[in-house]
Amino acid sequence: MIRLTNVDKVYRTSQIETVALNNINMEVKEGEFISVMGPSGSGKSTLLNVLGLLDVPTRGTVRLNGGEVTSYRDRDIARIRNREIGFIFQTYHLISDLSVLDNVEIPLLYRRLWGSERRKLALAALERVGLSSRVHHFPSQLSGGQQQRVAIARAIVGMPSILLADEPTGNLDSQMGDEIMDILKSLNREEKTTVMMVTHDPRLAAMTMRTVRLFDGRQVN
Amino acid sequence: MAKHLLKLVWNRRRTNILIVIEIFFSFLVLFVAVTLGAYYAHNYRQPLGFSYENVWNIAVGSLLELNFDRDRDALGARANITKRLLATLRDFPEVDAAAAMPEPIFDISKSTQTVHYKGRRVGATVNAVTDTFKDVMGLELVRGRWFESGDDALSWDPVVINQRLAQELFGSEDPLGKNIAPPDEGRESRVVGIITEFREDGELAGLDNYMFTRKKLTGVADDFAHYIVVKVRPSTPTAFQEKLMARLRAVGRDFSYEIKPLPQIRKSFLRISMAPLIAVGIVAAFLMIMVGLGLVGVVWQNVTQRTTEIGLRRALGGTAGSIYGQILGELIVITSIGLLIGTIVVAQLPMLGVASFLSINVYLTGLGMSLALIYLLTVLCGLYPSMLATKIQPAEALHYE
Amino acid sequence: MLKNYLKIAFKVLLRRKFFTFISLFGISLTLVVLMVGVAFFDHSLAPHPPETNAGRTLGVFLVHFTAPGGRDSYSFPGYALLDRYVRTLPNVEKVSLYTFPTTAVSYKDGMPITSYLKRTDGEFWQILGFDFLEGGPFTSQDEKDGNFVAVINQTTRKKFFGGEPVVDKFIEVDGQHFRVVGVVPDVPMLRIVPFSDIWVPISTSKTDAYRKQFIGSFMAMILARSPADLDMIRAEYRSTLTRVEFPDPKDISKATGEAETLLDIVARTFLLDFEGKSPARRFLAWLILLMVLFMVLPSINLININVSRIRERSSEIGVRKAFGASSLTLVGQFVVENVLLTLVGGLIGFVLSFAVLHLIGSSGLIPYAQFQLNYRIFFVGLGITLFFGLFSGVYPAWKMSRLHPAVALRGRG
Repeated sequence: MIRLTNVDKVYRTSQIETVALNNINMEVKEGEFISVMGPSGSGKSTLLNVLGLLDVPTRGTVRLNGGEVTSYRDRDIARIRNREIGFIFQTYHLISDLSVLDNVEIPLLYRRLWGSERRKLALAALERVGLSSRVHHFPSQLSGGQQQRVAIARAIVGMPSILLADEPTGNLDSQMGDEIMDILKSLNREEKTTVMMVTHDPRLAAMTMRTVRLFDGRQVN
Repeated sequence: MAKHLLKLVWNRRRTNILIVIEIFFSFLVLFVAVTLGAYYAHNYRQPLGFSYENVWNIAVGSLLELNFDRDRDALGARANITKRLLATLRDFPEVDAAAAMPEPIFDISKSTQTVHYKGRRVGATVNAVTDTFKDVMGLELVRGRWFESGDDALSWDPVVINQRLAQELFGSEDPLGKNIAPPDEGRESRVVGIITEFREDGELAGLDNYMFTRKKLTGVADDFAHYIVVKVRPSTPTAFQEKLMARLRAVGRDFSYEIKPLPQIRKSFLRISMAPLIAVGIVAAFLMIMVGLGLVGVVWQNVTQRTTEIGLRRALGGTAGSIYGQILGELIVITSIGLLIGTIVVAQLPMLGVASFLSINVYLTGLGMSLALIYLLTVLCGLYPSMLATKIQPAEALHYE
Repeated sequence: MLKNYLKIAFKVLLRRKFFTFISLFGISLTLVVLMVGVAFFDHSLAPHPPETNAGRTLGVFLVHFTAPGGRDSYSFPGYALLDRYVRTLPNVEKVSLYTFPTTAVSYKDGMPITSYLKRTDGEFWQILGFDFLEGGPFTSQDEKDGNFVAVINQTTRKKFFGGEPVVDKFIEVDGQHFRVVGVVPDVPMLRIVPFSDIWVPISTSKTDAYRKQFIGSFMAMILARSPADLDMIRAEYRSTLTRVEFPDPKDISKATGEAETLLDIVARTFLLDFEGKSPARRFLAWLILLMVLFMVLPSINLININVSRIRERSSEIGVRKAFGASSLTLVGQFVVENVLLTLVGGLIGFVLSFAVLHLIGSSGLIPYAQFQLNYRIFFVGLGITLFFGLFSGVYPAWKMSRLHPAVALRGRG
């Protein structure tokens, strides 16, 4: 479904060159639940960004369902991001000026839906993550775990076929972390969502189908 | 530290260029406004040389020919009118003295002439007045004498000059008795007296060379004068104007008269004279406000772009004061660049002879005040964004990977 | 969708109240200055009552006289020139001659009252559409008969008679006595064609000398049958002047000039261009350029502030892009936010302009000034505000929306 071929990602400033990804070749099949592991600075988040079309590789190609995404126009990439992909950020990135409900609705804003439609879908997503009682609160009024759950609701509200999660349990205690994992697993099992998760917790990685390991930007085994 | 700041400013020259240009232009406009204001203020404090209280101005116009100066016959037909009007005016007990002149006081209209002495040629504003003028206006003689009726018989023309003209034309020599007519002129013009000052255009106008020539009322057609000034007894009621008007009309039926107290004319002329200053002032104020807003915006832009850097500096032990110092420091460097270019341009002006009526003092005052005002504006505008910068917490700024 | 945008726009503006204030201040101040300028222009030059026929009227204001020696002068034409050569122009509906307003003193209970006095013919009242508060105008017959009648304005009625009805009462002006036949509303001083305090027939002049003068203090109004005739009348006037026979060719030998609108003559005065075709269009172009320049500084400031504000929201931009907002959509969102801000600034600007114009009007600096914000000025102001909003919103928004989401989320702009 997603194929990376000879992907490099290099960050250049006027004096320094940092190689974040080096010659990555990998394939993710539909319905897989993959974890990405590696020490700090190994390029895990960068890989996820490339997979989730949040960033473009310096070299190489990214193919989604056969189409070479790296050559697409901005409008088409936006469409894919909106319909096919859902991203869960490590630091949540909720918009502090908007309520929980408005935050979750964001992906739906970029589709042609009535306000009532959006509301219905957003409430359903919040119900799925168990936050129906906090619908009108603001992010600053929620705990870390609750914020993470809002971020998940936002990522799944559009019913994407691909879900990318960057350390979704990194800031949570173990019980909360387990709950989050349960949600991801049920999405993968029931909706057949392809899930890619960055983690540094081997216990969580063990719950996934396979693990991609990175070291210094390269794939290792 | 200054070098460090200069480096920072140079590295972001593209954004800073706009601000430098804004500061440059607003400095120029501000300089014009402030210098003009200083010029007016300086002039205002100089003595007028005459008194306008209880003086009424009568503007005399011909009803027959608008440009009757062209028509010699029309002139001849109405000879002596000025003499007759003056005689009538003196009849009134309310009138202390009356005199006539061609050029009005507190008005842009004026007459100028070049005077000569020992090869030197100097320009002066000139007015031909009748003998009683000194009494009406309260002029102050410092040397020599004023005009008198005996002067009618002279074979040369007497003139009275102000001290400034005396200084410029004669230097340390004694002006009395000397001839200042052009060398090829048949009839001599000799200085008979020196007055302190006569500022025909009022307190806001520049300081001029001034010369009075004597207006004879000997019945020749040329003796008509457009303006008559009358010194009235203090507390003469305004109702007297009507009586005066009726008598004037009776004496000279072919003429129109407009009677206005000189203090009133002075007031409206002051307002008109201030108009350019007010106009430039408004434009300068507008520009300053806009530039101020721009500065605040740019400094804030600066701050948001460098939250990481600022947070880092704080984490490494920088105090709030140092943050203020850095941001304001950059701002002052940028401002100084704009002001430097502006000052260079402005310094060319006296050398090019532009606005030569400004004295060096006024110029420097204007320059100094403009610089000070712009720096003040700059610092004020930088304060709030710098304050925001000091609020940045190190942790918040360094929050990823 | 729009509601979402507006909701977040408000939140964002309130988050940084100080900078929002600065933006609003800059916009409203610029607007006030521009609107006051436009109102001034409109007040002086655009058609207003009593110039109800301005669309088909031309004026003769200044004539260029040349003497044989080459000396020349620009002056108001004299009665003789206008009466013999302009009144007789073919294919016009009506011609009126009138003088430049002069000050005249009257005495009431010993106190001097200064008024502006204008001498006109009967046609003056037929071309201009005055709204008489009392009585009516004097006629061409009055002018022929030399009747001493006068039309006065409201303020004069108040000054002389305390505001009571005055038709058939007498008024003394500059030593002459007139019977009041009509009262009209005050005319603003800047409308030089109709302006005066008191209007009397030309034939009441103190002497008859004006009848023979070619240079004088008169002006003319030419009413065409239709606006389409104006060019033809201009041409006819031009050629008529070349056929003028002067009484004293040694004094004046030639006259040239144009029949034109008030805008034309104002444009000539400002651009110091008195020969040939009217520079009115050039004048307007300069004014528009000036307006644009005036708006450049505030626009630049707004752009700067917007760039910073957007940069602060790079996280939000990253999120929206990650969830499918295209660059265009994001630009749209920020433009909406910016237009909202500038509309608020515009509203404040309007209110302030109103206040300032009212202040100028009531200060008496310009007698009888009646500055108004009419619909023409409203649309100019609205246009300016929208220009601000779009101009200062598009560039920063476009810059930011082009970033990859990952870059935006990192916070590096």
